[in-house]
Formats: sequence, structure tokens, C-alpha cells
Amino acid sequence: MAKDMHGSTVEFEHVTRSFGTVKALNSFSLTLNPGELVTLLGPSGCGKTTALRILAGIDRDYSGKVEIDGKSMKNVNASQRNIGMVFQAYSLFPNMTASENVQYGLRVRGVDSAKREKRADELLEMVGLSTQANRRPNQLSGGQQQRVALARALAIEPRVLLLDEPLSALDAQVRTTLRDEIRRLQTRLGITTLFVTHDQEEAMAISDRVGVMNHGNLEQIDIPGNLYNKPKSTFVAGFVGLTNRIPALVESKGEVMVLNQILEISEHSESVKKGEEVRALVRPENISVEKSSSSLASTVITKSFLGPMTRVGIDVGMDELIYAEMSSKEAKKLDTGDSVKLHIAAEAVMVESV
Amino acid sequence: MRKYSPLTIISFIFAIVFFLSPLIAASEYSFRGLNGVGHSLINYTWIIHQSGFYNNLAVSLRLAFVTVLLVMVLLVPTVVYLHLGGRKWRRVVEFFCLIPIVIPVVSLAIGAQVAMPKWLQSTSYELCFFYVIVAMPYVYRALDIGLQSIPLQTLVEASQSLGASWFTTLRRVILPAIASAMTGALFITIALTLGEYTLASLLHFRTFPTWVTNVSQENILGAVALSVATLVGAWLILLILAFIPKFKRNRKGVLAHG
Repeated sequence: MAKDMHGSTVEFEHVTRSFGTVKALNSFSLTLNPGELVTLLGPSGCGKTTALRILAGIDRDYSGKVEIDGKSMKNVNASQRNIGMVFQAYSLFPNMTASENVQYGLRVRGVDSAKREKRADELLEMVGLSTQANRRPNQLSGGQQQRVALARALAIEPRVLLLDEPLSALDAQVRTTLRDEIRRLQTRLGITTLFVTHDQEEAMAISDRVGVMNHGNLEQIDIPGNLYNKPKSTFVAGFVGLTNRIPALVESKGEVMVLNQILEISEHSESVKKGEEVRALVRPENISVEKSSSSLASTVITKSFLGPMTRVGIDVGMDELIYAEMSSKEAKKLDTGDSVKLHIAAEAVMVESV
Repeated sequence: MRKYSPLTIISFIFAIVFFLSPLIAASEYSFRGLNGVGHSLINYTWIIHQSGFYNNLAVSLRLAFVTVLLVMVLLVPTVVYLHLGGRKWRRVVEFFCLIPIVIPVVSLAIGAQVAMPKWLQSTSYELCFFYVIVAMPYVYRALDIGLQSIPLQTLVEASQSLGASWFTTLRRVILPAIASAMTGALFITIALTLGEYTLASLLHFRTFPTWVTNVSQENILGAVALSVATLVGAWLILLILAFIPKFKRNRKGVLAHG
């Protein structure tokens, strides 16, 4: 079996990278602790892949500091950093077998063939592909190719592992299985890992901490639960999980009227003035729904079964539907076309200017 | 089973007749006996007994080897660079690579010879530089298509992240990945070099094609046999080149299993 590795500390300090007038990274700072799996999450073009490429040494045209274990990487080539990387596109060398691909990093380091083969066998066994060792990439499925790519990245015993959306080209079932395998291996080997994805479910499921990025800035970095429950900006609240943006009116400095309810304005909201029309950000699970006989009530338009939970889309007379989530058992009482009354079951809501 | 339209079948038959009938006719003609009576190998034995056959063939093979070397050393790194960091230069290089097609060989021979250093003008290796220019459009296109068919950027980044230098990446990853494109480029260059007559004749060098032209004036049946033999020889070279990578792969596979 492959011997366990020891994680390194990675530090980005005020890293800025521009492409023409666009700042892909804007004074980006982040510390990865040894053995930690941190995910950078964000929409396309937010700078997450740029950060990863800078750490890999593929992109060196930046300002600021990037350090691994306290050593600056400014003048260190990609080939000298000892960083393992798994790419979004299938990146196996087409002229080599799975085993030769895994051995490649060791071969360029001058490791003798017996040791290389032994190590490749161990790693292929670890990713469940010991019987596919002599197959070429075109004889492997997408999931198998990414497993080989992972084994190849781990073969060099890297200080840091970088995962650049490695699951995005795979189908849903393989993606879930492989995502759990990555986490299992990462925890077992204790290797510091930076994972980049635009899939929040993936990010939430496997990360120690998740950093949400927007326009080159790290909006918030936190454990997954806090990111969802205590967002520090309206962008994070809107990007992570499903959020209703409901028109509301500011009643006083700290209160807002939403769906005829007066609620507190939570901290980290945008600054708003009394009488201003705003949007309140409300999670679907914070909206409770009950049947009503009133003619002024709202109407159930859609019902989406999500397993234990059901999401209900309600027309309250706005341009967009408001979504509420409830247990599927509770949702059985409702049908499309039913008149309902909504209640926000939260003390405070986050608001943003219109 | 896939069905073909009548038009496709007719076009296919027409193409076969168009390309194969001259070859079949020439082959039959080349086996005719003395004074065109009966069939024998006399025209083929005549070729190899002509003085200058081996010498001129050797010259052309040497020129082909040097040309292949020059064109690959020049174009492989260039096209790889154009696909990685130098995309903005792509149009410019494509333009330069197309120029040889539109410039008549006579102008090329007379114009470019002036630019050649004196020491090179006195040797037949001067022809290699002209052959490189002539082969450039075809070789560039073949390599370009080969590189477009692989995720080059990702392969290079993967190789470098695993600790490989640029040279190792080129040798162990890029070149094997475009082996079939390189084989195609190699064959085009060899075929062009072995069959090129105008440049050698204009610059007064003795190569296999110029020797064939001279000899063919003495014996027309022998000249046809020579053309058929040259064609078969070129095909054999192509077959060998095409099978070398497969043979190497199979050997490796056997060793890996064993």
C-alpha cells in the first residue's frame, strides 16, 4: 500500500492576476492548513481556476506571494514544485497504458522500473483499477480515466494535490462515487488539497472548508454549514443553496416587511434606508405553507418530489414563483391549484438593494 | 449493413478505374518481353544493370533523409509552439507555409539559390533546403491536424506538473501522441524528395529522377518498369513507416503482459 503523505501549508497572500483590464484574481489571500481539503467555489470566470493554476506553477504572471511550507514559489517551475494535479479534461497520455501513466512522474525522476511498477500497482489497486493496468486510455471509461489520473497525481507523493473540476465531465452516479473516493483517499493520505468546482453540492459534500469566489475576490471562506446558514454577503447567500429573492420594504433601520410580516434585517446585509424597496433573501426551508380559504391567498403552481423533501412553487402575484421546501409527508396535503398562506419561519432575513 | 446511394457507388467505381487503370496498364507494360513480345522480368533486370542506378538512388535517399530531418526539426517545435503560447503567430506562419504552393519552382530555384552560401551551392545537399520549402505546406498541415486532434495544452500541463522538462514532455508525450501525423508528414516529404525532378534538373544536380529521365530515352519499356518500381518502393517505405509504431506498441504490450 502507498505510504501516507504529510500535508503542507499553502499560503496565497494578496495575489493579483490580470488579463488585460480584467482582474481574474484581486488581492486574493487564502491559507490551506496541512492535510486540509479546501474547495474554491464560484461561477465561471470568478478566478478559482486561475488561483489553482498559479499554485501549480502553470501561470506565473501574477503579483503577490504564493508559499508552500513558507517557501516562495515565485521562481519555482511547475516541474519542480512536486504538486499533483488532476484536470477537468481527460489528461492521460494516450500512448501509454494506465500503469505507464501512473509511472510517468516517477520515470522522469529516474526511479528504477521495478520500484515504479510496484508503486503503480499499489496506486491502481488503491483506486480500484488493478485489473485495468495494461489498458490504454481509450479503453477506459471517463470515471476510470479520472481514477488513473488521480493515481498518477498521487504517485509522485506530492506536497499538495490540486483538483481542477475533475468530476465535471462524468455522469451523476460516477461523480458521486468518485467524489467520495477522493475524499476517502485525501483523508487517509493526509494530503493538503485544493479543489476547484462550480458544483456546490460537490463542494459542500467533501470539503473541510469552502471558499466562495466572485469576480476575483474571495467573498467568504468557512465550513460548509456556516456558509449556508451564516452567509456574510448577499452574493454568498444567493449563490450557495436555493434562495428566494422576495420584494420587501424597509420599515425602519433594522426591520423589513416581507410577505406582510415584519422581520429583522440580519447582519452582513447591504446597507438600506427606511422606505427603500429591497429584496429579502429567504431559504425555501424557512417558508412554511398552510392551506387557506381566502380569495387573496397564493396558489400552488408546481410540486417537485426530491425524495424525503418536496419543493413547492407558489404564485404570490410576483414575476417569479416563491419556493418552499417541506417534508414529502407534509407535502402530500397540498395539490397544485390549492390556495395557500405563506409564513416566513425566521427571525431575521438578509436584504439586498434592488 | 450500411446502404450506399447509386451515385456513391458510381463515383467510387469511377475513382477506382481512374486511379488504378493507368497503374495496372503500366505494370502490364513493364512486364513485356523483348520488343514487346510475351511477358518477362527483362525490363526490371535491365534497370539494375544500368550504370548509375545505385549511385543516384543512394543520392536521392540521402537527400530524403536529410530533408526529413530538417523539416521535422524546423516544423515540429514550431507547430507545437503555435498551438501553445504562440497562437497570435499562427496566421503569419500559415501564410508563409502556403507561399511555396503559389511560387513556381523555377522562380524558387533561381531566386533562392542566390541566397544560398557558396559552399552549399557546390553540393547536392543544397537541394534539401529547397525540398524543405516545397514540403513545408504539406508537412505543416499534417502536423497541425495531428496536434488539433489531441488536448495538447492539458497533456503538456499534466506532464510538467509531474516533473517533466520541456524536452521530456516533447519526447515522451507530444511526439508519440502525434506519431501518425508525423508518419504522414514523413511520407509526404520522402515522396516529394524521391520524385522531385524540376529543381534538381534546373540546378544541374544528378538525382534519381533526373537519372530516370535520361535513361528512359534509351528504353521506353525500361523507363516504365523504373516508374512502377519507384512507385512500389515508395509504397513499401510508407508501409514500413506506418507499421513501425504498431510493431513497437505490440512488442511493449507483450513484454508488459509477460
